[in-house]
Amino acid sequence: MGDEDEKGYRWETEYEKTWEVIEEDDDGTIQSSVDDIIHKAKRRRLMEKLGNIRLGMMRHLFLVIDLSDAMKDQDLKPTRLASTLKLLEHFVEEYFDQNPISQLGIITTRNKRAEKVAELGGNPRRHITTLQSLVNKTCQGEPSLQNSLDLANQTLRHMPSHASREVLVVLGSLTSCDPGDISETIQLLKDNNVRCSIIGLAAEVRVCKRICQETNGKYFVILDEGHYKDLLISHVTPPPATSTTESSLIKMGFPHHSLSGDKNKGEKASMCMCHLDSKVNQGFSSSGYFCPQCKSKYCELPIECKSCGLTLVSAPHLARSYHHLFPLETFMETPVSSIPTDSAVCCFSCQIAVEDPNVYQCGRCQQLYCLDCDLFIHETLHSCPGCACSRETQESSQQFVGLT
Amino acid sequence: MTESSVSSQLIIIVDTNPVWWGQADTGESGQNQMSLAQCLECLMVFSNSHLMMSHRNKLAVIAAHTDKSIFLYPKKDQGGTSAINISEEADQGDGKYELFGLVNNQIKNQARELVINGGSSLLYPDTVLAGALAMALCYIHRSEKEVGPGEQLSSRVLIIKGSEDNPEQYMNLMNAVFTAQKQNIVVDACVLDNDSGLLQQACDITGGIYLKIPQVSGLLQYLLWIFLPDPTERHKLTLPPKAQVDYRAACFCHRNLIDIGYQSSIPSFVA
Amino acid sequence: MAGLSAVAKKTLDCKDLHSYLKTLPPDILDNLYNHPATCLAVFRELPELSKHYVMRMLFVEQAVSQTVIALWVTNKHQDLICFSEHKTSARVLSELRVWQEQSVVGDLPGWTLSPTFRQNMRVALLGGERAWIGGGALVPDKHAKDIPFLDKYALERWECVLHFMVGSSEGTDGVGNDIIDVLLHSGLMKSEPNEPLPSITPAGFQFLLMDTSSQVWYFMLQYLETLESREMDLTQCLSFLFQLSFSTLGKDYSTDGMTEQQLRFLQHLREFGLVYQRKRKAMRYYPSRLAVNLASGVTSLNTDTNQQGYLMVETNYRVYAYTDSPLKVALVALFCEMLYRFPNMAVGNLSRESVREALVRGIPAEQIISFLRSHAHPKMLKQKPVLPPTITDQIRLWEMERDRFKFTDGVLYSQFNSQSDFELLRDYAKDLDVLTWENPSKRVMVVSRSGHDDVRRFWIRQRQSNN
Repeated sequence: MGDEDEKGYRWETEYEKTWEVIEEDDDGTIQSSVDDIIHKAKRRRLMEKLGNIRLGMMRHLFLVIDLSDAMKDQDLKPTRLASTLKLLEHFVEEYFDQNPISQLGIITTRNKRAEKVAELGGNPRRHITTLQSLVNKTCQGEPSLQNSLDLANQTLRHMPSHASREVLVVLGSLTSCDPGDISETIQLLKDNNVRCSIIGLAAEVRVCKRICQETNGKYFVILDEGHYKDLLISHVTPPPATSTTESSLIKMGFPHHSLSGDKNKGEKASMCMCHLDSKVNQGFSSSGYFCPQCKSKYCELPIECKSCGLTLVSAPHLARSYHHLFPLETFMETPVSSIPTDSAVCCFSCQIAVEDPNVYQCGRCQQLYCLDCDLFIHETLHSCPGCACSRETQESSQQFVGLT
Repeated sequence: MTESSVSSQLIIIVDTNPVWWGQADTGESGQNQMSLAQCLECLMVFSNSHLMMSHRNKLAVIAAHTDKSIFLYPKKDQGGTSAINISEEADQGDGKYELFGLVNNQIKNQARELVINGGSSLLYPDTVLAGALAMALCYIHRSEKEVGPGEQLSSRVLIIKGSEDNPEQYMNLMNAVFTAQKQNIVVDACVLDNDSGLLQQACDITGGIYLKIPQVSGLLQYLLWIFLPDPTERHKLTLPPKAQVDYRAACFCHRNLIDIGYQSSIPSFVA
Repeated sequence: MAGLSAVAKKTLDCKDLHSYLKTLPPDILDNLYNHPATCLAVFRELPELSKHYVMRMLFVEQAVSQTVIALWVTNKHQDLICFSEHKTSARVLSELRVWQEQSVVGDLPGWTLSPTFRQNMRVALLGGERAWIGGGALVPDKHAKDIPFLDKYALERWECVLHFMVGSSEGTDGVGNDIIDVLLHSGLMKSEPNEPLPSITPAGFQFLLMDTSSQVWYFMLQYLETLESREMDLTQCLSFLFQLSFSTLGKDYSTDGMTEQQLRFLQHLREFGLVYQRKRKAMRYYPSRLAVNLASGVTSLNTDTNQQGYLMVETNYRVYAYTDSPLKVALVALFCEMLYRFPNMAVGNLSRESVREALVRGIPAEQIISFLRSHAHPKMLKQKPVLPPTITDQIRLWEMERDRFKFTDGVLYSQFNSQSDFELLRDYAKDLDVLTWENPSKRVMVVSRSGHDDVRRFWIRQRQSNN
């Protein structure tokens, strides 16, 4: 963040001569320059990823959604609100996909008030229905930053200290109508270790920038819808843990899933704990997940056991977040010409004959990859096929795990 | 476009672990009366059948060895002749009688090469499956990019495995499985000997079929009956029901399966 | 795409392999299964479920009880669709004589795969037995041909036929009597008594708009029908044709071991551009893409893989054809009003008049649309839907415009003496639901033909009672 502040605004810096980057090649076309730029853009995202830092895996995040007049604006199609809600749905799915043991809550603000529409919880479906129901709400009046932050703070304050506390505000308005001094709220957030990030839909606002700076969050203003999406996705990966979050061990249960109760064991159909209150017939069956500590039954994971408070997860849930902890090292870019071989260079994983001038080499297993595979491996797969294939490299990765 | 423009791609990962096959061959592990060669024969008939189902069907075979994985089919694009190879590969979609011979020969040759040259000094009873799966996913990723406009490619992976699980591969395997889930790739497993907890999870997550075959000698029939139908047709046929899946986590220090564990809040692992 | 096949069936009756084979007598069918290639081709055209039935029974020597086979399909009560699918799959297998009824132990009805079919499927799958016709090894050809050459050759030959059909002067000299015979037989062209060359029929126009693989398939079907008059054996030709469709593009095959008839057939195929042979007496031939695609193009009318689309259609009804081939431009001109012509492209306009002209010629709207779609430029294929909906809708609307008249036979009643008489009869007709039209001020009405007797009888009765 520090760097960015010193850089100042784009219009204060020296004139950028963007066209100087583009050069004609021997044939007099600019195709090679354009290819180069596209290529760099592809790789950039990978380069930006940081290495092994402490991440807060258990996140408690409040989404604050602006429902003020400004959200009726049609600069995003069809309206700012509709577009925002659509993108947030995707965000919620990704959030729970990447942070399986985290929680999320939703607050809306309009008419100078803040309202909590969804309590902190770990069920993505519930949040998505909440978001969908917001479409019909009318946007009214002015938002209140202070009220919403206070409301979020009230709940987050009570969250355990080993978990990260975060607020993400989506703000369409350029103004905020607050009852008191917002600096006090900022101080309060700071004291409680709440990280506050804001995505502005209109223009940069001084107070927003201050909030984010003080609380260690990120402040961005969207350029267009694509950028908006990227910004939201950047909040999906867990932020680095602050030094004050203490590290501790959390007790977790890994329930068995029994399909149909074994008759000889005398198991009977029962009601699951999650649908106990509802009137519907759902949840009454002999199958389900049983808490290993108190044997209460649940029909989905992850969930916190209602009777004994144990966090229940399944192993794949945890495994889904592993790749944040052991990020794959960036491959080295090597020109094809430097590789001594008599035939064409082939990508190790997809067997294609590499035609680009560069191949990418994994530092550990020394295997070569094409650009497409490199991107695919780093963005989706998160493990290097070459390393996973060879016993040596795989074991070294295990030692690496042990060290962390 | 009609659904007929959907082509189906099958990636077969076959376990060629020399320790396990050696045991199976000498009959040490009891009822397994089958050699690697016989297994490959079954596999080739099965892959021919897959190619026969439709002229658009595509195939790839990967061998997962004890410390490496290689493609048995198709061969790497070789330099110089690559132009011909690529055009041949494009035609393989048509699937011909001659193609079967071509495929079988290539699988045989590559497998022979692997068995002769593949012996490292140390042999382990487990197989590097995660690597093979990761390669399969990369290959699928590439081939999905290569299909022309208006066409669709639906891919699935079949793992034929005999040797033990390697719990150290858990993380790599899970990464691959989640990727498969995201890309809508079904992972099926046909297990010859040891029940594999890891593969059970993999199949369950991606919606594939996990089957430990009771009689190894009947491998081909099991393959043809259960794993030949595409996932889109499976609901029409009577197939074995889903098995109970053990979803417990393995602890990072001892790799024991546990019921209640401690998860570190910051870098999460289970101890 | 389903539209095209439906339309083609309605008007051109382009059969798929299945319906074609069904028309063959059983003994010919059994004979056909003596060749692995035919078995493969038939197998691929089976419905999905049938394929699995065959695969499951391929290594079972005895008959399998029908109830057991029915159990292979999920047997849920709500799944009636699956069950009816099972019925059709089983029926297709019986129709094609792939399996036959045979009772199993305990006199239950069962099915068993036809022995020849089973045998040759296994050969196709596992190998063994004798090699296919001309499968012998060949010395490398010193005039070896590569795939681009074959594609060019095949396309040229085929376009010759199409050129001939549209009557353009280019390259029509290569069209032999055999081709003309087939075209005349199929009704794609007809010969006028005072014209030296035959002229194209409405069916011919539809044929032109089909994609190449369907054209070849339709043409071959018609050709096979003329075989008998040429005193050639259908089984031999058909199995050779199927074998050809399973051969590798760009590879040469030997004519060794081919029968006299097959050699004659080969010469015909050479004329159509399905195979390339350097000289008439050359001992080797190359199958072209037209032949190889035959097996795949039988039912699936997918876009031609061998030639790129060249048509851009814009929402303003402009059609841009990026081609220099006069034939392609002529095809577009069938339903477009051509505006400009450039060296590498032509611009046309879809107008009401131009489309109506095509409709009058007997080209249905669906066919125009599918022609536009299957020849769409790769840039167009990227968008969904491929064609702008306004265009497709408008073409359909123009077709519907022509169907505004509906003819109903009827009887006119007029010259009523009084308004009350008229109303009485009209109400009676209305009650019977046979009144088609009425005009009270002129006291006329039309009653449908079926209702005429009733109404007349009523009227006579009425008159009598009044009198």
